[in-house]
Order: sequence, then structure tokens, then C-alpha cells
Amino acid sequence: MSPRRVGLLPRGKTSGEGISDFLRGMLDRGYFDAALLPMRVPAGDSFAWVLLSGWAAQDRSLLSAAAPFAPVMPVQGAKSLSSITRQGKSTQRIVAVMRPCEWRAAVELSKLQQLDLANIFVITYDCPGVVPLSDWLADPSGAKQLWERALEDWQGEGMRPLCQICDRFSMVDQAGSPPDLHIGLLGRGDGRPLLLAGSRWGEELLEECEVAPEEEIKDWEEWVREATLRRREKRRKTFRELSSQVKGYDKLLQTFGKCINCHNCMRACPLCHCRQCYFESSALKLDPQNYIRRAERKGGLKLPPDTLLFHLGRMSHIALSCLSCGSCEDACPMSLPVGQVVSLVAQEAQELFDYSPGESMEAALPLVAYKEEELAWAEKPYLETYRAEGRS
Amino acid sequence: MKEEFTPRIIYFLCNWCGSGGSETAAAHHLYYPENVIISRVNCTGSLSTVQMLRPLIEGADGVVISGCHPGDCHYNDGNFRARRRVALVKSILSTLGLEPERIWFRYVAHSEGRRFVDTAVEFNDHIKKLGPNPLKSRRDT
Amino acid sequence: MAKVWRMEKGVEEGMRELLRFLLRSHKVQGVISLLKLPDGGVAYALITDQATVQDAVPLYPLMPTNAATVLSRITLLGSPQEPLAAVLRPCELRAFVELVKRKQGSVENFLFISSTCGGVYPLKLAAQGRVKEADYWIAVRQGEIPAGIRPTCRGCNQFLPYNADITVKLAGNRELNKRCDLILNTEKGEEFLSGLEGEIHDEEAPGEEVKLLLQKRGEAKKELYEELKSEELGLSGLVDIFGRCLNCHACGNACPLCYCELCDFDSRDYEYDPSTYLAQLAERGGIKVPPNSLIYQLGRLTHMGISCVGCGMCTDVCPAAIPVGSIFYRVGEQVQARFDYVPGRDLAEDVPLTVFKEKEFQEVGR
Repeated sequence: MSPRRVGLLPRGKTSGEGISDFLRGMLDRGYFDAALLPMRVPAGDSFAWVLLSGWAAQDRSLLSAAAPFAPVMPVQGAKSLSSITRQGKSTQRIVAVMRPCEWRAAVELSKLQQLDLANIFVITYDCPGVVPLSDWLADPSGAKQLWERALEDWQGEGMRPLCQICDRFSMVDQAGSPPDLHIGLLGRGDGRPLLLAGSRWGEELLEECEVAPEEEIKDWEEWVREATLRRREKRRKTFRELSSQVKGYDKLLQTFGKCINCHNCMRACPLCHCRQCYFESSALKLDPQNYIRRAERKGGLKLPPDTLLFHLGRMSHIALSCLSCGSCEDACPMSLPVGQVVSLVAQEAQELFDYSPGESMEAALPLVAYKEEELAWAEKPYLETYRAEGRS
Repeated sequence: MKEEFTPRIIYFLCNWCGSGGSETAAAHHLYYPENVIISRVNCTGSLSTVQMLRPLIEGADGVVISGCHPGDCHYNDGNFRARRRVALVKSILSTLGLEPERIWFRYVAHSEGRRFVDTAVEFNDHIKKLGPNPLKSRRDT
Repeated sequence: MAKVWRMEKGVEEGMRELLRFLLRSHKVQGVISLLKLPDGGVAYALITDQATVQDAVPLYPLMPTNAATVLSRITLLGSPQEPLAAVLRPCELRAFVELVKRKQGSVENFLFISSTCGGVYPLKLAAQGRVKEADYWIAVRQGEIPAGIRPTCRGCNQFLPYNADITVKLAGNRELNKRCDLILNTEKGEEFLSGLEGEIHDEEAPGEEVKLLLQKRGEAKKELYEELKSEELGLSGLVDIFGRCLNCHACGNACPLCYCELCDFDSRDYEYDPSTYLAQLAERGGIKVPPNSLIYQLGRLTHMGISCVGCGMCTDVCPAAIPVGSIFYRVGEQVQARFDYVPGRDLAEDVPLTVFKEKEFQEVGR
């Protein structure tokens, strides 16, 4: 990331209020026409993405419901952005506040032509993780405390399992396409959050901002690097453990034994965008004799069938772009570790193609690109004429 | 003591080189095992990852995919895409401990009758050694 | 008076023996029943092998999928060539009949075995391994409502199956751990059982215990609806309840009645151009994104409410813990009452929204 302007948010407010004020200031001055951010729902028991127009944002009581740093993520931000710009690009300037994984999912969705980032100004922030939605609904105040603690100590206790091992929660040392602005929170304590520009548009916005001192930027970068290393270590350990629990026919089928084929995971995933999922189409709706034959062959057939096909098939469709956001796992009614298993597969698949999802707008999706010479190991070599045993 | 079992093998052949290979083999009176079932597809690039996974879950012991050599694809780059998809499927199977060796990808040209037959025989022997696919007898897939 | 086939075995073992008998006598090619899986999970399965029946748990108090969805999947493209038996709950059978009316399946060549159902536990309990079968059966035997079952089950007054060939006596049956009583509702049921161990008795059915449980369930339903206060919700109340809605449509997907391959609310019809968003934004000031939570809920309610059987799958799969099933069943029952319609009662009864009389509902459209 080439050195760009770094500003400071005003002191004296919680980060959440600070960013809300910053947004309102931007909207008032006409820098943007609308804002896309999480807000508390009317009943106050959850959060939803709201597209807020400039004039409405002047209403202080409305803006007090704004929660740019929400403790839960019921809907992945990229999904919300996609619902606005899937059919075309926005003609008005919208400022969106989202997590790094939501921004990266948006980059992937942009490559998949499911959203258009034109005129969308994205602000990300150091993300401490989110509380699983079911935990939040069961005990909102307890969950809030856990989340606030996570924001302080960055240990991630009580956050989604995938959040706890996320090493992409910030924007330090990120090559490729960073968001327009990133808010540095880690290690700032009561200090003022940093505002790091990632694009020329971001820099323009920071023109009137106080510039952050070099040492503070360097300190923050060190904090992030340390925390990232710790997370990476935890991720390695967790995946080693997970692998031993799910690898192999028996263990894998046991892991997905409680799956009820509700497909919530697919619905929650920001990357799953097919209007009609293959696994819900008539391709898998077969003659009764097909099910009976299969049952006879195996002595029985779990119904509905095709559970493993759905999971492996879905992995083959989205693993290369998986950001490990954990939305799938949050949505599973049977509490299966589906996000962790997909992330385990995704990590190896992404390494195989040397692809880092959401990092660069320019890096082509691995399955639509190819090199003329590559992956020789995938081919079975034919070294010499094969002579079967016992055949002349 | 393992009884000899007859593997159920699905062999995807592209319409052009792959099937050509099988026809050349026929012209030379080369035989391949009866339990290898040919499935002709337009191009190896038309095979989706799900089409590669589905036979393995539903009762095949092994899947082979053969098509034109790189550069010879009738549709220019279908076989390049196929190679990436096979690599992806193998990666998924490998991560989850599900025997990626049950899928083979080998180029077979129109004139390579011997190569086609050898592939079928070699894979058949290979699967016999590996044994039946555990997935095909599981009711909970 | 009803004919009851009595086996001198506890009801769970009796059911397994029944399934084994049907398979080994080749009266059916397969049975559809809940099955315990290697990991301890429970799912519906098509069983064709007697040996597999040892893992069958046909009366397990869980509904991992509504059996109607499963039966529809099997019979969508035709009927089985040989008979199949299916063990399913009254609401599941009702839902399947509703699906058959809509050409989403067929009842041909099926032996339907249902029960006077004691209810099922929410899926979350199963996910956490907290299903206590022993407690469940004690409550069912005593004609009590087991603690912790789905809210819609608590208040269910439709636990006497329609269209079942055989009904297993469960609710309020104090002898169910010693005797398996199968009420024979049809001649077909009697034919299929001939040769099975046991004897036929004549009995008063439904018995007194059923009437008592109906009363208790009725009270529980009143309580549930008093808490819900659906008539007082209004727009702000609906927004409060469905504010948490993620628009994931999991409820629709889990619902047996929602069978459309492409739901209208997932289609292009409900996807807007950015210019539409921005125009609406200019008027309203704020839009929940993705939008259409309320129209989805109310729309789905108008589409399937007439056939809602209150199974409660929707509530169980909702990631936002919204009591969808309670609301839908509440409204659904009221709609059904206006048409004097009970979904799944009679295959020959048309779905009210597909037929009309020349003179009816005169107060509408005056």
C-alpha cells in the first residue's frame, strides 16, 4: 500500500459515535448522498443494514440508532451492497461502513458481477470479530460485554469461531485494492482512531482532517502485525485440530450427520448468488425408482438425499472466494461447524491457485483464468504403455 | 482376505479427441474392461465440478476424465478449464481425506487408441487395489 | 368403535417389528421412517433392508425435515412401482395431502402410518444433544404436554391424523411401554398387517385420553395466542417482530408447502435497479437493505396460509429466532376457518383459493 494520507478522528467520543459524527459531517457537506451502515432495528433487539439518505441522517435521533461497529453481523455487508447494485451501478455517492471481510466479499462479488462498486465509498475498520447471532439473541447484554472486551483486548473470546482465527481483520501490509478508508482502532486505547486513506477519493476526504503523527501510525502497524501473527498461529493450531476431527469418510459424514438440508448456509453466504441454486433445482429431483434403487443398494437412503453432494459441491463453487466470514455457521440451525470446514478446504484450495480472495480487483477468479502450463500434478502421467498383470 | 470386486468406473470422454481415442482403439481391436462405463461429453471443459463429484458420491468407485491435449481443444480452452476444475476437486477431496486418487485426468488424442485403453485398464487395476468406494455404501450421504 | 391391532410389545419395539414385518413379507419395497445415523443424529430415511430397521426410530420426537417435503421429493415425478410405507406425523401427512392437491406428489401405492402425536422438540435441542426421550414418553403416557416441545405443537389440536391407514396410539396411552396399539383406519391398513404378530380388538377410539389432551392443548393454544396478541400487532408490531428478519428465506425453504422452485420473492420481481432504491430513498429517507422483509412474510402468508398445518419448521430454522410458525399458524387457522377448510383433511377437497362459488363473501367488494 503506497503511503497515503492518514488522518485522525476527533477525540472524546467512543469510536462508534465518532464515526457516526464523521459520516453525518460528510453527508451534511454533500460529500455523499447516502450512507449504508448497520442500524439498530426499531425493537432494539438486533441490527440491520440501512441505506440512509443525506437529509434523514440529519435527524439526530435516527442517527443515534446507527451502529457502524455492530457487535453482530446478521447479514453480510456485501450481500446488502449487492442487493442495491446488482442490477446496475449507483448514480449517487454512497458511503458504506463495513468490516474487512465484508469489503473483501464485495470485491469478490464485483468480480462475479453481482455488485458494482462505482460511486460507493467504502470505510472499513479493525474488526474484533462478531458475536454469534444466537448468542446475542439469547443474552444481548452478556454478548455486548464480550464484544466490548474483544474490542479492548483483541483476544476474541466469545466471538464467532472463525472470527477468533481471522488474520485479515485489518488493512496493514495488504497488497492490491484496499478500501477508500480504513479506521485503525487496534491498540489506540482512548486515543483517537486513525483514518487511513486507501484511494485518491479517500485522500480527498481527509484533506481537512488533522494528520496523524508518524510514530502513531507506526505503533498501530506494529500492534496489528503482532496481533496478526498471534491469530495466524491460532489459526494453524485450530485447523490442525479441525482436520483431525473431520478428515476421512467416517469423520466427515459424522460431522455433517445432523445436517437437515435447510441450505441456510448457502442463503447466508455472501458469495452464493445464483438465483436458483443447482442443489435446489430439478437436476436433483428424480424419478421415485431412482431413490428406491439407491436405497436398495445401500440398505437405506437418508432423506432428503444429496447432503454431502450439496456441501462438497457448494465448496467447489465458492471455496476459492471464501473470506471465512462465518455467516454460514451463524445461520446453521444445527450448529454444524460448516464455516470452519469450508474455510479449511478454502485455505488449501486458495493456496493451490495462489489466490487471495478480496485482495485485488485485478486478480482474476481462478476458475475463469488458466495458464497453458500449470498444475501438471493434476494430470495422470502416461509414462509407458501399461501392461496389466497377467496380460501379455 | 479381500475378494476381487468389480469396480464401477465412469470414464468421461470429450466428443472430439477422447471419443476419437476410443474409436481408434475399436479400429485396432483393443479391448477395455466392461465395467468401465463411457460417458461422452461435448468437451472436458463442459464438466462442472459437481458432475465430477456426483458419481463418486452416488456409487462409482472411480472417475476418469479424458480429453484433448493442451492446445488441441476443439473449443480452444475447455481442457485448460477442466484441468483447473480437476485440481480444485482433488484439493477438496484431499483436504477432507476422501481419496483424490479416485479421480484421474489424462489427455488422450484422437489417434491414441492404445493410450485410451491403457488408461481404462490401468485405472481399473488401480481402483481394484484401492477397493470399493466407502461412500457408495453409506446411507447418510 | 374401531379395530385396533394390539402387539404385546412396547410401542417403539412394536413399530420396529411392524416395519421389519412389512419388509420381510414383501408387502412393501421400502419404509420411510426416522433413522438414527452413525453420529447420533436422526433423519428420515428410505429403508429397504430389514437389518437397517434396528436403527429406525419411527416415533422419535424430532422433525429434522417435514416428511411432506421428503414424500413430495420422492413422488414428484411419479408413484413408486411397488408399495412403500411411511411413518409420519399428522401435520406432515396433512401437509403432504395439501401438496398432492397442488400436483407436487402422489399418494398412490403408499401405506400411511401416523400416530396421535405428542409433539416434537425444537431442532436446537437436538443440535445441543439435549433431547430427553425418557421424559418425553412419561409425559405422553400421562396425557401431558411434554415440556419444551415446539410452541405450535403445544397448542396443536390436530393430533388425530386424517388419511392415515394406521394410527399408533400414543397420546395419553398409559400402556404404551408394554403394548403397541395400532388403530386400523382403512381396509388397506388391515390387509397390510395380516400376518403380523398380535390380535385385533374392538375399542372406543378416540378414547377419553384423547379428549382430555385436546382440552389441555386447547388451553395451551389460548395461552400461546394471548402472548402473541397478533390482532394488536399493527404495522409497528409487525415491524418489531420482523425487524430482525434477515431476508434469508430459510422459513420458506423449510416449509413443506412452499414448493415453488423459484420463489417469487427470490425472483427478479423483487430485485430493484439502483435508481429505484435511490428514488425510494429520496421519499422515505431510509431503506432496510436487503428490503422486502414484511412483504415477504405477509406475501408468503397469503400464498400458503390457507394450507398451513402449524408444523413449526419455519421457527426452528430461523437464524433470528423469530416465532414465524406461531404467527403463521395463528393467521392461517383464522383464514382456514373463514373457508371452513381444514388443510389435509380430505384429498378430494379443493384448496379454497382455486375454486369459488358465484354467491359468497358478498361483503367483500361491495
